[in-house]
Formats: sequence, C-alpha cells, structure tokens
Amino acid sequence: MSEDLEFAFALVLNGASIGLMYSLIALGFVLVYKATDAINFAQGEFVMLAGLIVAVVLGFEGAPLVAAIAIVVIVMVGFGFGLERVVLRPLLGRPVVAVIMATIGLAAMLRGLGPVIFGSETRAVSLPIGDEPIVLGPASLPPIQVLGAVVAVLLFLAFSWFFKKSRMGVAMRAVADNQQVAQAMGINVERYFALAWAMAGVVSALGGVVWGSMLGVDVHLALVGLKVFPVVILGGLDSIGGALVGGLIIGIVESLAAGYLDPYVGGGTKDFAPYVLMILVLMVRPYGIFGKRKIERV
Amino acid sequence: MFHREAGIFKTTYAADAALYPLPIAKWTIAALALIFVVLIPLTVHEYYLSILNLIFIAIVGALGLNILVGYTGQISIGHAAFMSVGAYTAANLAVKLGLPFWITLPAGGLMAAAIGVVVGMPSLRIKGLYLAIATLAGQLIIEWTINRVPAISGGAQASIEVDRPSLFGFSFNTQGSLYFFLLFFAVLAIVATLNLARSRIGRAFVAVRDQDIAAEIIGINIYRYKLLAFAISSFYAGVCGVLYTYYFGIANYEQFQLIVSIDYLAMIIIGGLGSVLGSIFGAIFVTLLPIVIRLFMEDVGSLFFTQAEMANVISGLRLGVFGGLIIFFLIVEPEGLNRLWRNVRSYFRVWPFSY
Amino acid sequence: MTRFVRSWLGVAATTATLVFGGGQAFAQKELVFGLQCDRTGPTATVGVNLCPGYHDYIGLVNSKGGVEGFKIKVIEIDNEYKVPPAMEAHERFKKEGAVLEGLYGTPQTAALNKKLEEDKILGTSPGFGTAASADGKRFPYTFPIAASYWSQAGAAVAFAKERLGGSLKGKKIAYIFYDNPAGKEPLPILEDLAKDEGFEMRTFAVPAPGVEMGAQILDITGRFKPDFVIAHLFGRAPSVAIKELKGKGFPLSKVVAFVWGSAEADIIAAGGMGAAEGYNTIQFAGVGKDFPVLKDIEAMYKAQGKAAPKEMDSTVYYNRGVLIAALHVEAVKNAIKAKNGAAPTPEEVKKGMEAIKGFTLGGLVPPMEITPADHEGGGWVQIWTVKGGKLVKSKDWFQGYRPLIQKHLDADAKKS
Repeated sequence: MSEDLEFAFALVLNGASIGLMYSLIALGFVLVYKATDAINFAQGEFVMLAGLIVAVVLGFEGAPLVAAIAIVVIVMVGFGFGLERVVLRPLLGRPVVAVIMATIGLAAMLRGLGPVIFGSETRAVSLPIGDEPIVLGPASLPPIQVLGAVVAVLLFLAFSWFFKKSRMGVAMRAVADNQQVAQAMGINVERYFALAWAMAGVVSALGGVVWGSMLGVDVHLALVGLKVFPVVILGGLDSIGGALVGGLIIGIVESLAAGYLDPYVGGGTKDFAPYVLMILVLMVRPYGIFGKRKIERV
Repeated sequence: MFHREAGIFKTTYAADAALYPLPIAKWTIAALALIFVVLIPLTVHEYYLSILNLIFIAIVGALGLNILVGYTGQISIGHAAFMSVGAYTAANLAVKLGLPFWITLPAGGLMAAAIGVVVGMPSLRIKGLYLAIATLAGQLIIEWTINRVPAISGGAQASIEVDRPSLFGFSFNTQGSLYFFLLFFAVLAIVATLNLARSRIGRAFVAVRDQDIAAEIIGINIYRYKLLAFAISSFYAGVCGVLYTYYFGIANYEQFQLIVSIDYLAMIIIGGLGSVLGSIFGAIFVTLLPIVIRLFMEDVGSLFFTQAEMANVISGLRLGVFGGLIIFFLIVEPEGLNRLWRNVRSYFRVWPFSY
Repeated sequence: MTRFVRSWLGVAATTATLVFGGGQAFAQKELVFGLQCDRTGPTATVGVNLCPGYHDYIGLVNSKGGVEGFKIKVIEIDNEYKVPPAMEAHERFKKEGAVLEGLYGTPQTAALNKKLEEDKILGTSPGFGTAASADGKRFPYTFPIAASYWSQAGAAVAFAKERLGGSLKGKKIAYIFYDNPAGKEPLPILEDLAKDEGFEMRTFAVPAPGVEMGAQILDITGRFKPDFVIAHLFGRAPSVAIKELKGKGFPLSKVVAFVWGSAEADIIAAGGMGAAEGYNTIQFAGVGKDFPVLKDIEAMYKAQGKAAPKEMDSTVYYNRGVLIAALHVEAVKNAIKAKNGAAPTPEEVKKGMEAIKGFTLGGLVPPMEITPADHEGGGWVQIWTVKGGKLVKSKDWFQGYRPLIQKHLDADAKKS
C-alpha cells in the first residue's frame, strides 16, 4: 500500500475503534430511551461515577480487578434502580424538558458530590492488558481501544439477543411500544422501567472501567458524555444497532476530519464535524438512520 | 403583589388583558420604583449592588429563554451561544466603528435574533429531544465559529475589550452607576415581556406550546410563530450578552459556554416556566444560591469541618445543592418558585380570615 | 399552610445569612487576601491541589506570627471557572478590605482586568490570562508573576534546540495544542522562531473536550514525523497525548509539555509515572518536596498533631499554590516595610509587588524580578523530566528567547 493509503487506513481503523468506545456510552443512553422515553443527560456522569468507584476499590491494597468490576456493576445496578424510583418515576408523563432538566440536575449533583465523597485526586485504573500497541496490518491500535471496541460489540450482541429472544426483552419492547397496552396485558411497566435504568447502570459501569483506564479517573471523565448525542441522533434514539453504527460513523468522521480537514482549516474540526453531520441527518431523516418513525395525532 | 382583589369587577376584555390588573397595582409599582431607584442605591453597599447587577443581566437572559421554553414550548440548549453573538456584534461595532451603546445594544440583539432564526429552523421539523440536540449543535457550532474566525473574535485571544457605556459624556464605570444602566434594561425587558405575553403573539405562543397541531387548525401559522419565538428569545439573549460585555468591559466567548446555557435553563425551571415573575425569581435564585451557601458555610461550616476541608466541601455542596434543587423543584413543585410565591400571596389575600 | 411556612423560612434564612453573614468585624493587625479558585469547574483537578498549597503557606506564615506582625486572613471563593461569580468574588474581596487578590482562570482574568484597574487592587494570574498582561504599563494591576504562554513557547523551543544538538535548522517541530484562545496564544512566537531558527513547524489542534486525539497523533507520528513535539494541552488531554504518543512508538523524551500538562496527575492518569519515562515538562514553580518551606509546612501539621495533607503529594500544583502565596506575602511585606510597619493600602501592596527581587524561597520560586514595567518577572521556567518513576529537574531556571518575547510585548502595546 502507498503511504497515503496506509495513513487513511490507520485513520479509519483508529476512528472505528474510538467510535465503538463512544457506542459503549451511547448504549446506556439508548437502553433508557428505548424502554422509558426518558432522556439521560447525565450519561457521562454515570460513567464518571462508575470510574470513581472502580478506582476507589482498586485503591485498596490487593483488591483484584474482578472484584472491583463486580462491585461497580452491583453498585451501578442499585444506583439505576434507586434513581428510577426516586427521580424518574415521579416525572412520568411530564414534558420532555422536565426529564432533560432532571438529569442535568442529577449530573450537577454527581459532579459536585462525587469528589466530596470519593476524593478529588486523579487516579489511574490499570487493566492487565499492557500498553504494547496491537498491530493490524499497516496500522496499530492501543490495546485499551481494542478492549473497548470488543466490550461494545459484545454488549451489543448481548442486548440484541435480550430484546429479540428473552421473555423480559420482549416485554420491554412491548412497554416501549405502548405503555398502556402493555400494562393491560399484565406487564408490570414500572418494574421494566427500573430494569432499563439498571441495565444502563451496567453499561455505564463497563464504560467507566474502559474509559477510566483510558483517561484516568476524576471529574473530567464525565466529559465523554458529550460524545453521546451525535452518536444517538445519527443512529436513532431507540435503536441499539443504531448506537453501534452511529458510533462507528462518528468515530470515523472525526478521525478523517482531523486527518484531512484540520490542515486546511488550521484548527480542530473534530468536535464540529459530527454535529454538522448530525444536523444534516436531522434535516433528511429526523428520526435518525435506524430510529422508529413516530406518527403524531392530536 | 399584595393587594386585596375584592370589589373590582372587569367588564371588558380590554380590562382583563390590561397590564395592571388592579388600580392599586400602580401604587405597588410606584413603591417598587422608589425602592429600586432611590432607596437601594443610596443605602446598600457596593458589593450587594454588584450582585444585583448580575441578577439584572440574568433576568434579561432568563426572560428570553422563558419566552422560548416556557411560553412556546420549544427547547433550546444554545441560549449562551446567542449571548455570545450579541456580545461580539456589539463589541465589534463599539471598537471598530466607535458606536455608542444605544446602537450596539439593539444591533447585538438583532444579530442574535437573525442567528437564532437559523438555529431555530430545525424546530420546524423536529421537536423535543431532537430539537434540544439540534440547538446544542448550534451552540457548539457558534462557539467554534467565533473561536476560529478572527474577524469576529478580534484575534487569537478571542476577546475584545470595550469601553464602559457612556451617555451624554457620563460614563457608567462604577457598580453604582452600572446599577442604573442595568436596572433600566432589566425593567425594559420585564415590561416588554409582560406586554408580549398578553398580546396576540404571546397567546399564539401559548397555543403552539399547548397543542401545536390544534393551534395550526385554528389559524395560527405555527412555523412563523416558532421562528418568531426563536427570534425574540435570541434577541433577549443577544441583549443579555451585550450587557455582560459592557458590564465586564470585555467580550470573550469563554464566558458563554454550554454550562451557561444550562444555568439559564435551571433558572427558568426553578423560577417557573411560562411566567415573567418566575424568570425573575429564577435569575435571583440561581445567582444567589452559591453566594448564600458560601456565606452560610463560612459561618456555620467551621463547626463541622476544618478550614482546609471546607473549601472543597463548599464547592461540592454548592453543585450538589444546585442539582438537588433542580430535581426537587421538578418533582415537588413543577411550577417553580413562582408557584410558591402565589401560595404565599393567596395565603395573605384572605388573611386573617382563612378557613 | 405548611408549604407557606416553609417558603418563608427559606426567605428568612436567606436574608439573615445575607445581612449578618457578610459583615464580619475587621480586626486589628489583620490583612485580608482574596483568593479565587476553581474546585468544581473544568479545571477542578488543578484547583483542588493548588489552592490548599496557598492556604498552607499562609497558615505557616500565621503560625510564625504573621507577616511583620500582621495576621493574614484568606477568603477563598470558588468561581467555578465562570465569569459572573468571579466578578462577585472581586466585589466581595473589595468589601472585606482585601489588599490583593489571586485570580483564577483566563476568561475571569480578562473580565477583571478593567475592574482591578478601576478599583486599584492588584490581581495575580500565574499561568492564566494573556501574555500581553505581562506589560505593567498596559495592565497596571494585573500580575502574571509567572512565565506566560509566550515565555513558555520560547523556553520550549530553546529546550528543543538544546536536546536536538544545538541547532534547529531543517528540523521539524509539531505543536499540538488545545483549540482555545490559550492554546493559540503561543502561535506568533512559535512562527517567528520557526523563521529565525529555520525549523519547520506544523500545528495540530485538539478541540474540547480533548478526550480523544488518535487521529492527530497519527498525523504527527505517521505523516509529519517530527523531531520534537511541543504540547500545550489542558484537562484530561495531556494524559491522552502521553498515552497515544507512547502507543505510536514516539519517544516521550522528544516531547515537552506546557505548564498545564505537566502535573503528576496528568502522568498518573496516563498509566503511572513508570509509563511516561522521558516526558519533559515546563514548570514555573519548583517540583517535589525537597524545599525547606515544604518541610516547614509538614512540621506545622505535625505540631498540630495532624498528618500532612494528601494534596502535598501533587507537588506540581501544590507548589504553585505555595509560590503564589509566597509572592503575595512578600509583596505585602515589602509594602509594610516601606510604610514602617503600618497597614498598607492595596495601592502600596502593588508597589510592594513591583519591588520583588531576589526572593527564591529555597529554589521553589524562580530568581524573578518584578518591576513596574515587567509584571511577569522575567518569564523564568525550569524543565522537569520523568526519570525512574518521578519528576527530576533536567534544566534549571532559564529564560527562552527573552528579546523576542519583549519585542512582541512592545508590538502588542503599540497596537492597543
């Protein structure tokens, strides 16, 4: 391959792996929206909270990584359940801005109280994967990005199976489709809402481990939440596959923009390109690439 | 306001829609004017005036956002970006052309309104979360553009210094004189919004919010009114940005980042959506909250924490309380402080003969 | 009814706090310092370590009887890296009679420049604000008191030149920067130096929030293949840069980072000190615990029966806090001495600040000389390098291309 082509390949590969890591965070968002129609602006803070917990547990002498991951998953599931019960359930049936604002408030709370409770210093989460780059043809990737991408794909497969085949998954789809009818069919809607938040907790826990290992853990970890929106809008708010594809597209577009546009513009187009793409998609397909089209009636 | 309403009968629609619902309201306004124009500037320490100044600016911005979110039911997470549009327009006009504030201020508002219409375009096709994110994109794209285009930002520092506003040779360069400058615009914004809300436009906004398709059927051009709402709201935001610019003596895009948009959303939600008084309460509340928590902790917190711990605790607590209050208001009192105020008022209305 | 009572209780509490909380008595023989900090905003990781350093140094001075008999009271206000609270903080400091204040944050410094001048209270902005504010004639009450981004750019190039064997002719230098005004500020200096020294420079922007920069690093290591990398990043971005550069096999010994990408926290977050061997950092205050003043602070805590605070371990930021506090105290000391022991006014403290010379605090503070014209104090920096799991000094206090920086300062002053 020529050098230019190799560079392009490396850009795409890097973008794809980072994109899948974005998907990992976006998944949590989509799960909640799919089941409960609630919009979670605190997704980044969920990841931060999970990262903080992992780092704190690992901070104890001799704590094994497996235990840390188990603890964070359990805590985040509990957090998801509690959150649904205390904050989200009273807001059922309220306008969309109310839920958005509640999660923005939640985000502020987590950012404020997290460091007070867990300490404000920056910590590292070291995973036993080394940091020798993994070589793929002419390009190479840091192992953490490969791990992140693998986790994202595995979660995607697991949730796809869950929603297609398992009894609970089907019930959840029914709830998402029409809450009243689902309730009439004997489905405990509130329980499934809580379950959706708990699942978002699990995804955030894993996101916290992966992103925490990549960035280090402190309040800045919450910044990854900003990356969620173009991903989910592009893929469709309620599509798990969309989150995956959206993440891939955003990651690759960012990477190519930084590689090919930046030298001409003389500045970072990376944060800007995905949002422009997103607006364009919104103009053509307001419900995303894979999103469900809603018909409104008076 | 505290007045008894007994014995007042309205016989025409015009009377019902009047700016002063009761004759006595005029006296209340006069009393308020006396307090704010004479009493406060004469008696209050400059420090408290500076807080009031910040509140006045916030009121203008909060009113603007409330017109869009509270009255018209659209969502915008890009309010701060419109402020920066106003700020840079005014700063460029003031520095490059040497124009006085009474030209740059409306110019900043109009430019923000124009940009606001563009960012509001997607509202014609999408709503709810999608609109929220589209305006978020607007915020980031405007920030990016200002940061990248030296013709707007005035160079790599992206900040333009402006002189203090002056009128007939008098320069507003102390907190005391800026107080009157900002008070004037805050009052103007309040009166304008009150008038807007009771006019045809305001009622159309409410119709669009409550049921847009039904509104269209009864003959309201919802596209026009949605864009109008974006334009008016952005105009307020632009003016708010110009006021910030003159207050600080500098336009700097880092003053108007995403977090500011969120603060303003918090103001109108805590204050009360779709109400002028609510916007005012929200602006006061969000501005005062960190100050009050800090003053409180400086006095009381030392009982529980050492000096070293305290600084961290105050900061974390402030953010925690801020977030907690937003959630609390959403769950317990969705109509915000405005509702609490009405409860107080209705209690006194029948006092001491309440049942 | 209950709802009503609750609302009024809230109002009453607020009013009470506002009315009574604000008016502390002004004790004799006490001076008030105002300190702005960011402990919750985008630069919180800096603030939580820097500000304790400030408090501890002031505590140390007070425990030794204060400065020339005056106790110091510090009022800290968290401005959340937002501008309106910064203005509120300034007014509060003014009300409490502060003789000087420590600013925090670039937009906050920009917004307060004018106010400081109007109120005649000096503000220090080490590492923040514009490079142009080093010019004491233009910004009489703003004191950067540490190397500006221009000076750091000069120092970075001087260091690169030294590392690359004394000549930059025909060499390639990559400048990777956070895409905000602060990140772009050094560009004119770097462009001039590229011409003068004959090296090729390319810039790589990292937009906010800077949590990912694989593509830029790929561009640097894969296409541009520079001889040296100068990094000017903030927040979590420095850690990501370290990780990515290392992942692509670029030697970290050929990287030098500006002052906000050079703390222990950045290196730890990138996978620990061991993982960043060779990484070079620019510092405007001494690093490590090997300073008498830090030993004194530890002794002070011991005397109180307490353990030294854990913030002390983050020596890069903590020491910067100590540096700011020490210069504040020194300025006040000069002012009191000039007044034969009477309490100085803020204007006199400003003169005291402009008289600081030969005050090094055992090497923690550079040999700076602050004058009415030069509020930066000369733009001194050190280079510290990660070696064997800790930061080691590899170049003592030096100034990079001072004449060029001065030329730019003069040109900038003419423009305004």
